[in-house]
Amino acid sequence: MKAHKVVGLLIGAALVASGCGGGGGTASGGPAEIKFVWWGNDDRAKLTNEAVKLFQERNSNIKVTTSFQNFQTYFEKLSTEIAGGNAPDVIQMDYRYLNEYAGRNVLLDLTPNLGKEIRTADWNQGFIGSGKLNNKQVAMPLAQNATAIAYDPKLFADAGVEEPAIGWTWQDYKDRAGKIQAKNENKIAGSTDFGGTEDVFETWLRQRGKKLYADDGKLGYTKDDLKAFWQLSKDFRDAKATTPPELVTTLNAGAEQSPLGKKLSASEHSYDSLFGGYNTVRPNELKLGPYPSDSKDSLGSYRKPSQLISVSARTKAKDASIKLVDFLLNDPDAGKILGANRGLPANLKVREQVSQNLTGTNKVIFEYEKSVDAKLGDAPAAPPKGDGAIYKLMQRTHEEVVFGKKSIDQALEDFFGEAERALS
Amino acid sequence: MVLTERVAPAPVKSVAEGAPPRRPNKSQGVAYLFLAPWLLGAIGLTVAPMVVSLYLSFTDYDLFNTPNWVGVDNYVKLFSDDPRYLQSVGVTLRYVAVSVPLKLLLALGVALLLNSLRGLGQAFFRSAFYAPSLLGASVGLALAWRAIFDTWVDTPDMALTTIILLSAWQFGAPMVIFLAGLQQIPRDMLDAAEVDGAGWWRRLFSIVLPMLSPVMFFNLVLETIHAFQAFTQAFVVSGGRGGPADSTLFYTLYLYERGFTEFRMGSASAMAWVLLVVIAVITAVLFRTSRYWVFYGDER
Amino acid sequence: MKRALALVLSIAALALVLYPIVWLVSASLTPVEELVANLRELFPGSITGSGYAQALDGVGGSTFWTFLTNSLVVSGGAVIGNVVSCALAAYAFARLRFRLSGALFAFSLLTIMLPAHVTLIPQYIVFQQLEFTDTFVPLILPKMLATDAFFVFLMVQFMRGIPYELDEAARIDGCGPVRNFRYVVLPLSQPALVTTAIFTFIWTWNDFFSQLIYLSSTEKYTIPLGLRLFIDQTSSSSYGAMFAMSVLSLVPIGLFFLAFQRFLVAGVATTGLKG
Repeated sequence: MKAHKVVGLLIGAALVASGCGGGGGTASGGPAEIKFVWWGNDDRAKLTNEAVKLFQERNSNIKVTTSFQNFQTYFEKLSTEIAGGNAPDVIQMDYRYLNEYAGRNVLLDLTPNLGKEIRTADWNQGFIGSGKLNNKQVAMPLAQNATAIAYDPKLFADAGVEEPAIGWTWQDYKDRAGKIQAKNENKIAGSTDFGGTEDVFETWLRQRGKKLYADDGKLGYTKDDLKAFWQLSKDFRDAKATTPPELVTTLNAGAEQSPLGKKLSASEHSYDSLFGGYNTVRPNELKLGPYPSDSKDSLGSYRKPSQLISVSARTKAKDASIKLVDFLLNDPDAGKILGANRGLPANLKVREQVSQNLTGTNKVIFEYEKSVDAKLGDAPAAPPKGDGAIYKLMQRTHEEVVFGKKSIDQALEDFFGEAERALS
Repeated sequence: MVLTERVAPAPVKSVAEGAPPRRPNKSQGVAYLFLAPWLLGAIGLTVAPMVVSLYLSFTDYDLFNTPNWVGVDNYVKLFSDDPRYLQSVGVTLRYVAVSVPLKLLLALGVALLLNSLRGLGQAFFRSAFYAPSLLGASVGLALAWRAIFDTWVDTPDMALTTIILLSAWQFGAPMVIFLAGLQQIPRDMLDAAEVDGAGWWRRLFSIVLPMLSPVMFFNLVLETIHAFQAFTQAFVVSGGRGGPADSTLFYTLYLYERGFTEFRMGSASAMAWVLLVVIAVITAVLFRTSRYWVFYGDER
Repeated sequence: MKRALALVLSIAALALVLYPIVWLVSASLTPVEELVANLRELFPGSITGSGYAQALDGVGGSTFWTFLTNSLVVSGGAVIGNVVSCALAAYAFARLRFRLSGALFAFSLLTIMLPAHVTLIPQYIVFQQLEFTDTFVPLILPKMLATDAFFVFLMVQFMRGIPYELDEAARIDGCGPVRNFRYVVLPLSQPALVTTAIFTFIWTWNDFFSQLIYLSSTEKYTIPLGLRLFIDQTSSSSYGAMFAMSVLSLVPIGLFFLAFQRFLVAGVATTGLKG
């Protein structure tokens, strides 16, 4: 009696019928209706909807419906929709999630359309590769960002130390942060504890010529590497140059909840694209600077796609979807509308055009990227499936270290055990 | 006549055993007519999805691809190869064991307090104490809670306490039910006891609590089931990740993370079925013990 | 004397219990910069309505009033559907005799214990196949089909407390089950109905997850969805507006409760069954 096989077959059939099968494309040029989803806030929604409106004016036979959520809920909803056979056609995608989705054959391979329906002539060619996985172009980078130190220049000046600048080392950072913290009698920390953040670890690894993941998708670092990194974070703590344990969990919270945003820290590791958030809670008080590095040649930072854009593999309106992707990426008028809302536009001509009339936070971000551009590398391949779990794992195990629940060595054992399980 | 049973009357058991009494009903058809909407929903929106999820718990379903049968693998791995699972079980048990009694004691205490107001602003206080139960599930309030317990939320030893307090804070719902139960206790019975020289404590333990026991039982069962399924508050207070250092990794939070951020829906389904069985067993045990301490008026 | 003491204690307890709510209201009136810097101070140095202005403007081209209307439609539909369907089912379980009564009721109790996340995907597939996504149907239809077993349980428990002699009397007067339900049991069940209505309203109002999953277009968004759009952590934040909207989102619940709460307890005490 293979009852489970019968049930399985039925349910399997239902799941396939619900959309796990392949979708056919419509004839090009015919009327089409597509759904475009992204994450973001109200400002981004206004700009994006305006661009979509322009697209529909130019393509009267294509109707675009849009939907957006904030980052976290976006992915909850997206996975449910895809599982339910109701995948959106055009999907804003995150670098870290790219492999989770592409690895499950959810995203369309755009390779045949590169340089044709999707124009790439005005692109930094190395940047295009950030949307590539296993030789398939499963996404196009929408915009670029890079790691940065966000800091409060007044606190640096008050303590009589120099601001972050290319050439400064981790030792410099520790010394300056320590002085700032001493000057403020430990009420304001010199830096925000960074030991639990995979983004910082990755940049630090790259400064030392290593990578987060090897080409085969396995971990690209050893226990000794992570140990040295956690030791570095501990050195900061020991030197009273960083935030106390209670603040360690606020990493990855919004700018308004971060130690720097709450004025409990003078500086923290971040992304330049998050500067707008900082600026909302601390208007005109903060600046962006490069990461410290012990290497003369490498900052470790790279041209990271702040967001990517993909087409669903099951779309019923492939041509219209690709047309919208190209429009958002390359159309000068769309570029004018969208500006630098998602980061530096990927198309260099559009970027140039946008940079002409910049104000406010966008200007700060552009100037920062310009100042470090010569030192930025190409993006590595998107992280493998399981990286999302490892990202959280690093934060969690580091917390256990900081709170004294585990020694660094014991945490390393646990980390590598679980990380390997997550990748298998 | 004692009327407590109208607030939270006889246990389910007696229904299952063939109530209502003394009243044969000739046409079963009418009963099914009344049940039609419920039946439709039960089959289409509950049974079918349950069967699917039970099936999925024996597969490697990842949300996007056709599931493959893996037998009891998901279940075995939970207990043999997953320290975080055991952590989540521990956190949840601790939460249930502390938050449910705390909440019910608070509810009972405040209900007794309000009852002794004998109408003096009672309606106002009842509503005011009930307010947290209305607001507790909102995102904005959970954020306020985070801010108020700023440093606690971010230390592993205290984070769970914060969430327990948030739950206990919403004692208003069981309190209203207790209060209603208290008001059913005939005044003359209490007055007679007082005349006989029974003090406040004596009356509490000999009359009030026994007569409240059906209500207590009702609240206990529901709050226990609820506590096992606690999700939203832990989700918002911990920023969705059960931290710091997994100290607030509730069972449902981990289940959710499995299913929707790690895409291991097969394993998540297995977790849900284990939870269902555990809750069912605990509820059954509560019903079993209820005969020793729950007092029903009609049994006299 | 005792009453006075009880009163003092009640006031003290209330002050403690209401503190977080006062905090929330005060936060909604605090300017963002101050909010971030002094997150724990109850009384802001200056007061601003800008959070409220921003909250009323809404998000993504839909105003707060759109969210409000949608939430009212969903919650209102859910309340009506749930009260009617649960009352029907509860009447059958509590007062009628039929063969599968025990088994079906036990099953319905079992579903109270089922964590919702698990049936989510299969349920989504059902509604997707019926092409009901991005409508209010998946949010209201389940209530019309009494899928929330908790309320069936609540009403069954309540209806079982109504003396069966009344059924008997009604039967002698020539009432069948339908009229008995309509004219005897239903009126006497008012407290349970009101309780169900209040809880359904609040739970639906605060429910975030299913609304998120089923609604896509911003013009169909409800208040909880709108509220979450204010808390995007990856772009510039609207912290003050978020607290303002939290307060606004709670106002209808408060009003609803104030309007009906007197039935909740008064009803229990005065169902006409005294003595």
